[in-house]
Amino acid sequence: MSALTTVPKQRRRSVIARVGWSRFLQEIGMLAPAVGLMTIFLITPFLLSFWTAMTNQPLVPRPTPVRFIGFNNFIRILNDGLFWTSLWNVTRFTLWVLPIQCGFAFLTALLLNRKMPFRNLYRGMFFLPAITSMVVVCVIWGTLFQYPTGPLNHVVGVLSGGRIQPIDWLGDPNWAMLSMVLLSAWQAYGFQMIIYLAGLQGIPDELYDAARIDGAGRWGRFWHVTMPGLRPTHVFVLVITTIQAFKLYTQVAILTQGGPKSSTETVVHYMVRSGFEEQKLGYASAVSVILFLIVLVIALVQRRLMRRFDV
Amino acid sequence: MSDLALSVKKPAAALNGYRFVQSISVFIIALVVISPLFMLFIASLKDDRFQILADMGSFRAFWVDHPTFNNFREVGNFAGELAFGRYLGNSLFILFSTVSLGLIVNSMAGFILAWGSLPGRALILAVVIALYVIPQESIIMPLLIIVSRAGLSDTFTAQILPFVASPLYTFLFYQFFAQLPKELYEAAAIDGASIFRTWWSIFIPLSLPALATVSILMGIETWNQYLWPILITQTDYARPISVAIATFFGQDSIYWDRAMAASVLMMIPILLFYLVFQRWFISSFVGSAVKG
Repeated sequence: MSALTTVPKQRRRSVIARVGWSRFLQEIGMLAPAVGLMTIFLITPFLLSFWTAMTNQPLVPRPTPVRFIGFNNFIRILNDGLFWTSLWNVTRFTLWVLPIQCGFAFLTALLLNRKMPFRNLYRGMFFLPAITSMVVVCVIWGTLFQYPTGPLNHVVGVLSGGRIQPIDWLGDPNWAMLSMVLLSAWQAYGFQMIIYLAGLQGIPDELYDAARIDGAGRWGRFWHVTMPGLRPTHVFVLVITTIQAFKLYTQVAILTQGGPKSSTETVVHYMVRSGFEEQKLGYASAVSVILFLIVLVIALVQRRLMRRFDV
Repeated sequence: MSDLALSVKKPAAALNGYRFVQSISVFIIALVVISPLFMLFIASLKDDRFQILADMGSFRAFWVDHPTFNNFREVGNFAGELAFGRYLGNSLFILFSTVSLGLIVNSMAGFILAWGSLPGRALILAVVIALYVIPQESIIMPLLIIVSRAGLSDTFTAQILPFVASPLYTFLFYQFFAQLPKELYEAAAIDGASIFRTWWSIFIPLSLPALATVSILMGIETWNQYLWPILITQTDYARPISVAIATFFGQDSIYWDRAMAASVLMMIPILLFYLVFQRWFISSFVGSAVKG
């Protein structure tokens, strides 16, 4: 790590003298592709988004020049009810998906952490949805959600003894977002499960042995050894799931296009629609700046929490 | 002695009722979780799209009387309509180009950041780590301006080049190289190896775990790209299979049989890859979680 401390200023000129021109140029050459590509495709668009957000930039160039319009885009966004709907929708989505997805991931990780026959086979099976592309997941769940005779409605009918009427999963504004939650949780829980498994394996066996000697039962060991040991894992899992949830897009774009009645409109979908379909790139850039600020705040909260838990 | 004691204890533990309940519940949950995927593969072998939907409500969803590859024959064209052969090829080309370029570019940068002697490396590293927080979604609109002004709309380049260099992968390589022993680097220097040679002949052969992790993470990310290709591709020329499958949903009546077959086509490469490298997959996802 000491290699990282910056070279003092007065020695800066001597780098070439120290290592020679050939080595100096080689190092530049090896670093340049990554630095160059990141500058063009990451830093530039990022900085540009702040500028574009303050203009009336259209998607296709027009004869009229692009005008600087200050914070007008932001004001218009904040006055648009649909934007607030989309923000509320992703918040709702997050509040649903956190307990369902992380809870299920935690449960499967606890079950798989014990020694059992075919453990690796099970682990591989449980991870399969996580490597399935979202588009494929939409094809699969598009059939599962069929109304009124799809498999999910069939299961609901059998479990409720026919008391619950078939649900129009994607067509009912009350259900559409919950359907997105189910589909997304199924697709993504495998990742959180793996993180939890790693967290569980990081708890030293000696702690369990000590608890056992102290007379702790199964529950006692769970509450006093497993849960405290997993605190940083919980924080990490909750934060990455929240960030992911706020970027909800693909499944909504494919299955509901934000509908019915804007009940599944999300921030990214709203951005893509205003920028790509309505061709208002400046406006869409302003939405993307807001999205970045949201993600940044969540990431900063994570750092605070992680520091508090000493990781 | 202690071995003996353990071997006596074990069978007793195995008969434990708790263990039994646990095994059964894992088995049942696994079946439920996997059943939608199983159903996809079965349905892709059924020729009648109305039959597929009719079978869905029962256990017939998991059984096919007369398996046929007709759906695959229908969608597997290389030109014209339903050219999923071409889309699959496009996706594979984008995948291999992005991952192989990405391995070279990010590992070179990670190596220089860890072992180079350029001034300002600490600053570059700090910037790289900070860049990681920027979500792709929030730069995609300006990126669209840059790429289309550069005349790269509807090209493979537009789908490969922007994603080659990545803060996360450069950082993962940096982290891996930095923890290799100093002696390796010094030995190479004494032998008079150039810095490029040291990277290529000494460090790269030792970094199989890092190469595997980055390949897998990058591969999955590239394979699943959807938003960017939808914005940047207009014709069949460079359209990836993910975007092509999504077009099934734009129709009034969805051809589920074809959509299922196309989905299976999209799953096969990643599934094969996964079956061979399962252990690597899981550890690489853990690796991606350990970050600054």
